[in-house]
Amino acid sequence: MLPGGGWLVVFFALPMALMLLVSLQTGTFDTGYQLTWNFGIYPEVIGQYWELYLRSAIFALTTTGLTLAIGYPVAYTIAFRAGRFKNALLLLVVLPFFVSFVIRTLNWRMILSDNGLIFGTLKDFGLLPPEYHFLATPAAVILGLTYNFLPFMILPLYVALEKIDRRLIEAATDLYASRAQAFWRVTFVLSLPGLVAGSLLTFIPTVGDFITAEVIGSGNPQVFMVGNIIQRKFLDSLDYPAAAALAFVLVAAVMGLVALYTRLVGSDRLTG
Amino acid sequence: MSDLEQRSRIETAIERVMRRDRLTRRAFLGRAGRGGVALGALMTLPGLLAACTPESANKLNWLNWELYIDETEDGSSHPSLDAFTQQTGIEVEYDVGLLDNADFLAKYSPDLRAGNPTGWDIMSPGSWVVERMARNGWLEEIDHSKIPNWTANSADYAKGLWHDPDNKYSVWWQGGITGIAYDPALTGRDITTFDDLLDPAFSGRVGGFSDMRDMFGLTLLSLGIEPANATVDDVRRAQQRLLSVPAGHFRGWYGNEYYESLSAGDLAISVAWSGDISQMNFYDNDKVKFVVPDSGGMRWNDNLVIPKGAANIDGAHKLIDYYYSMDAAAMVSEWVGYFSPVAGISERVLEDAEATRPDDPEWADTLVAIAPTLVPTPDQIEGTYADKQLTEEEETEWNDLFEVVLTNLAPA
Repeated sequence: MLPGGGWLVVFFALPMALMLLVSLQTGTFDTGYQLTWNFGIYPEVIGQYWELYLRSAIFALTTTGLTLAIGYPVAYTIAFRAGRFKNALLLLVVLPFFVSFVIRTLNWRMILSDNGLIFGTLKDFGLLPPEYHFLATPAAVILGLTYNFLPFMILPLYVALEKIDRRLIEAATDLYASRAQAFWRVTFVLSLPGLVAGSLLTFIPTVGDFITAEVIGSGNPQVFMVGNIIQRKFLDSLDYPAAAALAFVLVAAVMGLVALYTRLVGSDRLTG
Repeated sequence: MSDLEQRSRIETAIERVMRRDRLTRRAFLGRAGRGGVALGALMTLPGLLAACTPESANKLNWLNWELYIDETEDGSSHPSLDAFTQQTGIEVEYDVGLLDNADFLAKYSPDLRAGNPTGWDIMSPGSWVVERMARNGWLEEIDHSKIPNWTANSADYAKGLWHDPDNKYSVWWQGGITGIAYDPALTGRDITTFDDLLDPAFSGRVGGFSDMRDMFGLTLLSLGIEPANATVDDVRRAQQRLLSVPAGHFRGWYGNEYYESLSAGDLAISVAWSGDISQMNFYDNDKVKFVVPDSGGMRWNDNLVIPKGAANIDGAHKLIDYYYSMDAAAMVSEWVGYFSPVAGISERVLEDAEATRPDDPEWADTLVAIAPTLVPTPDQIEGTYADKQLTEEEETEWNDLFEVVLTNLAPA
């Protein structure tokens, strides 16, 4: 408990407390900000920016759903069907991490550009109108997020699936379970800890992401996420209290959602 | 596309995202074009600890933007700085840690406010930052008797500007213009006005800037209002003008990344920085044209200033004086390619082009093409305007109004 508790204090509670204090300051950048316990900032930023929170949550949930839909079959195949290629396939999953997040996102912008590899070709074949564009749309941003966070879903799922005792599945089929039944009632249930961990690892960073909306979304208002407004307030408007309040609300909301989620699925799933 | 070009495009794109301000692309590609990009040199953080080094009359710490000075081909040193050290015996710790004006101000204001040294002897921020630092008493006055080259060589357009009318605290480093760029093949016609940006015919292929000053500046000009005289009501009208087009008309609000989208043909028309487009014509897309809209463009420049608490004020003056000598200015301009403050720079670069032609005809051609772009034309000076000197209150109001444009959320 002590080392874990100390870790939490230093790397989580303390920064959060500092951010809370910054959010309660008033003043201006030139004269400096003073702590005035201005709790009014919270209803203010929530009233002003709730749509951005909602949009970020929708983007993150969709992304989590998509990474699950893509990641589960991948993890399953690696765990059960890959045989001697298992390590090679796992390496392929991790390989993109050898390149920085920003660079990969930039490359996607080139791939998805109006006359790029994909849409240029489709337009050449007359399958899309020439003025069609995909970049700077919500779908493009969700695709970028899905790509960027997919390994965070695959790896925990793989770990959970890999350690399932195969004899349990054999026993189920011996007892006349169909393959589908054996999957849903044995394999899937036993993989739930990986699913829960993967969803959290995907949802939490996605909801606060701002790079993808900026690079693939080109700063279009339709894809503006809460991370973008926090970044803008911190770095462009130099409005530290509002930025800190926005960030604090984000962290609190995510913690609330995570608490609710683990409660619904059972926190024991997290540890298996 | 060759491997080298491909690489430099990606690297430039990364640069642009990491840095939220003007990129001196010419310098970057100039180096790439001349063989071998030393990415390692860009990635290192030289002089990160410069702030901690002992003060000395023979040292000078300079904080500047990346790719804003001449470099050797391997990126390991800056010939003009080496020459300065030879002349004066002063070692310059040169750091490219200036990434963003607002960010810069945020980082150093606590020390400056408290009267602590920042560790820098010379810095190169944008004009509105200079005005703000001067107003807060954070800058040393420049002793004009110590910078005779400035007195002798500074071009008229580069002195006596709004942010520091008597050049009491600052002198021009490099500058440029914000206007409109377009690809005639995509727009189908020549573009001359700001209204063209709002033409429904280009819907979804129009780029705006996420920089509040540039974007409101151009819009105010289109309403016939000079930004320097704009009231908050005027800015509200400018905001309404930008919001009057349907959602999605502007594909996005870009930082440096507009360059890639424009050169790839994703954008037919976009707000743009002058130096970028002449560079785009050299290396990426020679069809894109830059124009100063009929109603006017925005003029900007970065500056050399000496912050309060500087350890080597005398050395800083020597450096400023040095860069106003023709030799040093030419070394910088041939790499950097924005507007130089030194009168007669174009002629000098043309001379250099002819001198280098026997050894490197290709580079000579590049220099010939660069030379006229180093100085604003009379038209460009006539048709461009400076930022307004905003009070803090105005700045907050303008920022809030612009945020509505960026987010499309109803104001609180």
